[in-house]
Amino acid sequence: MTGKEYIRNAFLLKENDRPAWLPFVGCHGAFLTSETADIYLSSAEKIVKGLEEAIVKYAPDGLPVTFDLQLEAEALGCHLLFSPSNPPAVVSHPVEEGFPVDELPDFSEILRKRDGRLGDALRAAEIITSRHPEIAFFGLVTGPLTLALHLMGTSLFTEMFENPDKVNRVMEYCTDVAELMSEAYIEAGCGVIAVVDPMTSQIDPLTFEMFVSENSKRLFAKIREMNTLSSFFVCGQAEHNLELMAACGPDNISVDENIPLKEVKRVAEGAGISFGGNLKLTTTLLLGTEEECERDALECIDTGGNRGYILAPGCDLPMNTPVANLIAVSSLVRDKYRQDVLRNSSVKITAEEIPDISSRWITGKAIVDVVTLDSASCAPCSYMMELTNRLLPLFDGKVEVYEHKIKTHEGLAMMKALGVTKIPTICINGEPLFISQTPPLLKLADAVKERI
Amino acid sequence: MEEFTDKISLTVQKGKVDINSPYPPDMKGQPGADELTREALDAGVPANDILNNALIPAMAIVGGLFREKKLFVPQVLMSARAMSRAMVHLKPYFTSGEIKERGTFVVGTVAGDLHDIGKNLASMMIEGSGWRVVDLGVDVKSEKFIDAAREYPGCIVGMSALLTTTMESMEKAVKEMKTLLPAQRIIVGGAPLNAEFAARIGADLYAQTPQAAVSYLNSL
Repeated sequence: MTGKEYIRNAFLLKENDRPAWLPFVGCHGAFLTSETADIYLSSAEKIVKGLEEAIVKYAPDGLPVTFDLQLEAEALGCHLLFSPSNPPAVVSHPVEEGFPVDELPDFSEILRKRDGRLGDALRAAEIITSRHPEIAFFGLVTGPLTLALHLMGTSLFTEMFENPDKVNRVMEYCTDVAELMSEAYIEAGCGVIAVVDPMTSQIDPLTFEMFVSENSKRLFAKIREMNTLSSFFVCGQAEHNLELMAACGPDNISVDENIPLKEVKRVAEGAGISFGGNLKLTTTLLLGTEEECERDALECIDTGGNRGYILAPGCDLPMNTPVANLIAVSSLVRDKYRQDVLRNSSVKITAEEIPDISSRWITGKAIVDVVTLDSASCAPCSYMMELTNRLLPLFDGKVEVYEHKIKTHEGLAMMKALGVTKIPTICINGEPLFISQTPPLLKLADAVKERI
Repeated sequence: MEEFTDKISLTVQKGKVDINSPYPPDMKGQPGADELTREALDAGVPANDILNNALIPAMAIVGGLFREKKLFVPQVLMSARAMSRAMVHLKPYFTSGEIKERGTFVVGTVAGDLHDIGKNLASMMIEGSGWRVVDLGVDVKSEKFIDAAREYPGCIVGMSALLTTTMESMEKAVKEMKTLLPAQRIIVGGAPLNAEFAARIGADLYAQTPQAAVSYLNSL
């Protein structure tokens, strides 16, 4: 099955044999290709190169073409400040500065010209979708509320009360822009449109209904008319608006770690749509260890399940997210054995529970401890145990072999006492020697001989 | 007297700026914070009472409701706008010394970060609790924070970061300031932060909401 099929199955609520995996590689693509974010996000070729690196390293089922919520704003006349390590930031807001709403530019004309970074993003979409038809590429469109904030600045919020008609006109305009942008990404080959509207987290449900609901419903209906799947994506604490988001008619809702995944699942299931999220961006992916990332991913996978769920970071990956952390997540997605190991080793063992093994070693003998998940049910563990047991006739009572299954509390305590971190592992006289690999019998026997 | 302060407090809580403001709809045509504050001063209500018995408690209520997610950014901005309009009338009393501020709060977004909605919101709430706010703006280098801390002895410094990458600038700014001015109190805030990060970089408080910063400042 291709990655695209995994994503499509998830969107259509069909069962997958593993979770669909969608790393949000935005300016992280610059990190993968040793570019700065400003240069990377201004070149179709560099974006394509970054995405291809991500494909090789992270084996994704889906990828965003780019993660840049300033593209449309820039094309509409907002000034940006570029950064070498982040997406650019919007620094001017034309409508707040007096530009008349009725004279905002015709976005279809802008799209026709394919100038600037907007043109680069669309060209990147065309190239990458034709080179990698096996992957689902997401066209990320700036949500109407967020684009309205770019155009109006924080006056958007006060004008909601003082001049609601003006806000409604801007919202309708921004929805038109989002429709046209969606169409352009679809024409460029994108299989999914993600409407990213983080400002949704900053307004109350009543305000959402007044200004966002109808516009978003129109947008998602339009994307559906174009036979394309859609996602309503929000970062931030937007739990209070989740049901309203789902009611706007997207095929999927996606969130970051501010919202418990269980709650997203409940809302999505209620609306009969799929959902995605919400690997922790900073505390785990950026600053955590590989194992912390795996454990976070496992928690998401166990909550999300294999039907209607897409494993993804909560938002755009920080540029310098360690590659090893994302590879760890990518591997875990496909490695049911490792998932089991992590599930079974999650029990906390206190210092008092760790046995004192100092008197375990006997002169003239080799004590061989094999730490496994369970050799009765795990293939690599069973090979390792089988091989280790073949030592017994070779050494005529000078070797003792023990299996410690980490499915048991005692097994876990012994794993800690032996200082083992990976499963399965063979220790001889307390020394972890063969880690996650079954050696040839001769090599194992030599190692034992040396230690008797 | 109480009738005045209660009325002013209500206009701030509800975000009723002046008589012409259409918001909130149920107060249409009624006087707002602007007219009522002027009227109260003209009637001889001490400026200090207006500040301490109307404006500060009103903003504390608004801050509490924001923390509980019963109010959101648009409503808080309207309350802050009403508060600022009332403050215009009180300004001369600050200058004359009749009203004293609780202290000075120096604030800015850290180097590389241009996102100022959170910082502005926190500033409004802090100002509304009786503190003088010195806003250094966005993209503030460590040296500028340090210079300001020296210029306003006894001030509390607030640093804001919205991006994961500018969290690194924040770490640098906090560490540099604590090296040169070990007693300087620093509050940090912003979406990607957490208490663990704040403690690790040596900040005195992680303020998840503006109200958390206000509570901390008022406890000093």
